[in-house]
Amino acid sequence: MEQIQKINKAAKKRKRKENLTAYSFIAPNFLGFAIFTLGPIIFAIILSFYKWDGSNPMEFIGFDNFTRMWGDSRVQAAFINTIVFVIGTVPLTLIFSLFLAVLLNKKIKGRNIFRTVSFFPYVASLVAVAAVWNMIFSPVNGPINEILKTLGMMDPPRWAADKNWAMVTIIFFSVWKQIGYYMVIFLAGLQGISEEMYEASELDGANSWQKFRNVTLPQLRPVTFFVMMMLTINSFKVYDQVYMITQGGPGTSTLVLVYEIYNTAFKNWDLGYSSAISMLLFVLVLLVTVFQFKGEKGFVNE
Amino acid sequence: MKKQKKISTILIYLVLILVTITMLFPFVWMLSSSLKLDKDIFTFPIQWIPKEPQWDNYKNIWTRIPLAIFIKNTAKITLIVTFLQLLTSSFAAYAFSKLHFKGKDILFMAYIATIAVPWQAYMVPQFIMMRSFGLNNTHLAIILLQAFSAFGVFMMRQFYQGIPDSLIEAARIDGMNDYQIYAKIMLPLSKPGLSTLTIFTFVNTWNDFLGPLLYLTRDNLKTIQIGLRMFITQYSAEYSLIMAASVVVLIPVLVVFLSLQKYFVQGVAATGVKG
Amino acid sequence: MKKFKKSFVLTLFAVVLGIVVLAGCGNSGSSSSSSSESGSSSSGKTKITWALWDIDSSTYYKPLIKAFEKENPNIDVEMLDLGSTDYMTVLGTQLSGGDNNIDVASIKDMPGYASLVSKNQLEPLSKLAKNVDLDSYGGLVYQIKVNKEFYALPFRNDIYVMYYNKDLFDAAGVDYPKNGITWDEYNTLVQEVSKKATKAKGSQVYGGHYHTWRSQVQLYGILNGKNTLVSDDYSFLQPYYETVLAQQKAGYVQDYSALKTSSLSYSAAFYQNNVATMVMGSWFIPTLETAMSSGQSEKFNWGIATMPVPKGVDDGTTAGTITSLAINANSKKKKAAYKFVEFVTGKKGASIIAKTGTMPAIQTTDVIESIASTDGFPSDAASKEALSVKKTYLELPYSKNVAEVDTILNDAHDNIMSGNASIKDELKNASDQVKALK
Repeated sequence: MEQIQKINKAAKKRKRKENLTAYSFIAPNFLGFAIFTLGPIIFAIILSFYKWDGSNPMEFIGFDNFTRMWGDSRVQAAFINTIVFVIGTVPLTLIFSLFLAVLLNKKIKGRNIFRTVSFFPYVASLVAVAAVWNMIFSPVNGPINEILKTLGMMDPPRWAADKNWAMVTIIFFSVWKQIGYYMVIFLAGLQGISEEMYEASELDGANSWQKFRNVTLPQLRPVTFFVMMMLTINSFKVYDQVYMITQGGPGTSTLVLVYEIYNTAFKNWDLGYSSAISMLLFVLVLLVTVFQFKGEKGFVNE
Repeated sequence: MKKQKKISTILIYLVLILVTITMLFPFVWMLSSSLKLDKDIFTFPIQWIPKEPQWDNYKNIWTRIPLAIFIKNTAKITLIVTFLQLLTSSFAAYAFSKLHFKGKDILFMAYIATIAVPWQAYMVPQFIMMRSFGLNNTHLAIILLQAFSAFGVFMMRQFYQGIPDSLIEAARIDGMNDYQIYAKIMLPLSKPGLSTLTIFTFVNTWNDFLGPLLYLTRDNLKTIQIGLRMFITQYSAEYSLIMAASVVVLIPVLVVFLSLQKYFVQGVAATGVKG
Repeated sequence: MKKFKKSFVLTLFAVVLGIVVLAGCGNSGSSSSSSSESGSSSSGKTKITWALWDIDSSTYYKPLIKAFEKENPNIDVEMLDLGSTDYMTVLGTQLSGGDNNIDVASIKDMPGYASLVSKNQLEPLSKLAKNVDLDSYGGLVYQIKVNKEFYALPFRNDIYVMYYNKDLFDAAGVDYPKNGITWDEYNTLVQEVSKKATKAKGSQVYGGHYHTWRSQVQLYGILNGKNTLVSDDYSFLQPYYETVLAQQKAGYVQDYSALKTSSLSYSAAFYQNNVATMVMGSWFIPTLETAMSSGQSEKFNWGIATMPVPKGVDDGTTAGTITSLAINANSKKKKAAYKFVEFVTGKKGASIIAKTGTMPAIQTTDVIESIASTDGFPSDAASKEALSVKKTYLELPYSKNVAEVDTILNDAHDNIMSGNASIKDELKNASDQVKALK
């Protein structure tokens, strides 16, 4: 009996020690994170039940901000546009960046140059690249449309100027801008796959595609999961590209949720309502994320 | 077999060249615009090589705005943020991926959840809080905002997940404690991850605009991205200067990328992660 | 082994702490020196902080402050540049929560003014300014009144005028535009000069130029004084949109979508020497003068005429945008701040501003004389005459929902000009949205 208690005690002690060690690892980051990010976020959550302009006293209004969203045509448009953007961007970026990473992981001459070049759009300042992008896709005499015309397309799309094409333009731009970023994550992940696994599979007579399917993809799972999640979340939070290229237009055809959040907060100074829209976005992202986490569990244990 | 390989190599290069053209296009345009007069930048068809290169643009950017001070400020903020981010994230990520402790899942969920909240949603409360700490108009405000991102922890955790637990068990049996395992095993093994995080943090902080815009209103504190915006004044956009400054500003980021690249290449042999 | 662990952790924390503290000291040092809260320094001087934008490109800030400090040796004025593009956002944030770092603030636009007023962040001025002759501002102050109270005094009033390229008119063999032409006459003129100059020059010349701002079209609708842009029926804008869209379709003016996507600034467009006329604010005068002498612009002769007005509107009517000064309601130095506001918005301030080629809010004959005598101003009498106006309408009047209205109008303009919606439907849509605002 005493023996067991002693063992229990020792186990408890060990457990406590392990907890403490773990906390000491987390503490430096968590303190900063809790004060400067988590705190304000919790405040923002509370704020969504209030009416506040940042200056006058706050006024509790219950769920008014949320019911108001229901009938707000701008928020509805933003909601739909955001989802369209996510559906358009995530698969394209994922496929292209993985493809590029696999190519640039091969032992070929000049791959450092190619890698650097692919990273260019991501590092360049958005002000500059958005200007270039707008020029290339100019509906009047931009190079893209000039080429389409010589190829016999009489009436090429008006891209950012057309309400049906504006979102497509923004999706193209976003994919192009962020491929390099996700490619780098994939590249780093690819380094973790041992050469021997490829050699083994080669001995089994696998071709390139089989090697990719049977070795690369399974080994990359944690990284792919990370990329997919970050990509999804970041796509839901799209703002900069829209601000630089269409400012939400024409009309409300590229208005996205974060753009409306920013507008409501900083133009109308309706901070409570702006927080409520953020909560809508938050719940949306959370649902997708939880879904993805469930997917990962199945994925990793497979 | 050999012939097939040749064909595939040619194909790969073709694809890569196509990619290069698409990716490089804006940079070439930036470079060429930076040597033009404003009025010539948006003329069609694009004039790739300016007839009379305006080298003065590169001189003017230093005098029109205090660009040197801005670069110094940005470099200072970026270096400190990157350092803190790497250190604290990799530290915390170790606990999240290799240790078992109470509240692990909840804490981790808190981190992940905040990634999902757009910054625009809590910018105002955060600003009021920072100001009440007396941090308005200090670089420290920007550093504190950027240095403890949930993203860094999440990313490092994902990289650590890829390092087999058996290595750590073995080290424990050898008598190492967790701090030693972190320093002697995890850090060296996660070089690709650390390099990746370095690049991302560096680029993000370097290109951050909204934060400095709200927090740094005094000229001696401002950063490069604000400087770039200064050229887009309300009534006329001086694109040639923006482009010249963009080119200058791009250089440090590229240097960081190039110098860290070897860690991606290093790969398996050096890190010793096998199977 | 234990020793290693301890020392390692200690070093780590020391490094983190060290950096944070160092960074903190380095900064708080510099910031506290520049933003001394104490109001009066050892020499007994009061320092007030003026929030504004674009210190370097606006030539009148420094002379204004210099003259003021000479008159009031015990007050120092410090400028705080918040940048122009997001000025009202940053100002709103800086003033939020009752902060008192800023004493005087430039107010850039009506939506921004309205939000600061509703947040009680601006000091009411009617009592402080009871000795000020409000009529000297030509009725502008009445347009920014909020329930009989006003919270800012204008110091700049940029009126809209028509800039024209004399060389292109000469080439086309068309007479220069006269002061006081109507909107319909302007429409004919745009077509005529466009066709003739294009033929004469052998390359495309545009008769007019509408920048992408909604004000470029919508302002014509309010010049008769019957309508304002805060309205629940925007059908009065229809004829102007019809005219502009027809001009655009025929290629007499550049395409809206192309201008928007290429971010071509209106100044760059005018510099290219293929735009015959452009209606734009008087802030463009000093910019254009400088661009001509620096080589930023192609060389050509230019002149100024009045903004075209709808039929039946009195001569000398135009639209304008004002820049005004307000006092932070939480400022601890309101007296000194008001002294400064009074100086800048008064006659003395006006003459200093005018000397730099910028239109002040008080527009006397001296002021016009002074602007017309700046280097590079067109030498003909008609151009100078075009600057004297009798009645100025502000783009947007004060209204509680003016920020929301602004967004609605921008969307409508964008949809109409890019051809994504019919004029009638879109104006109806905008009217309905404004009606729905509480």
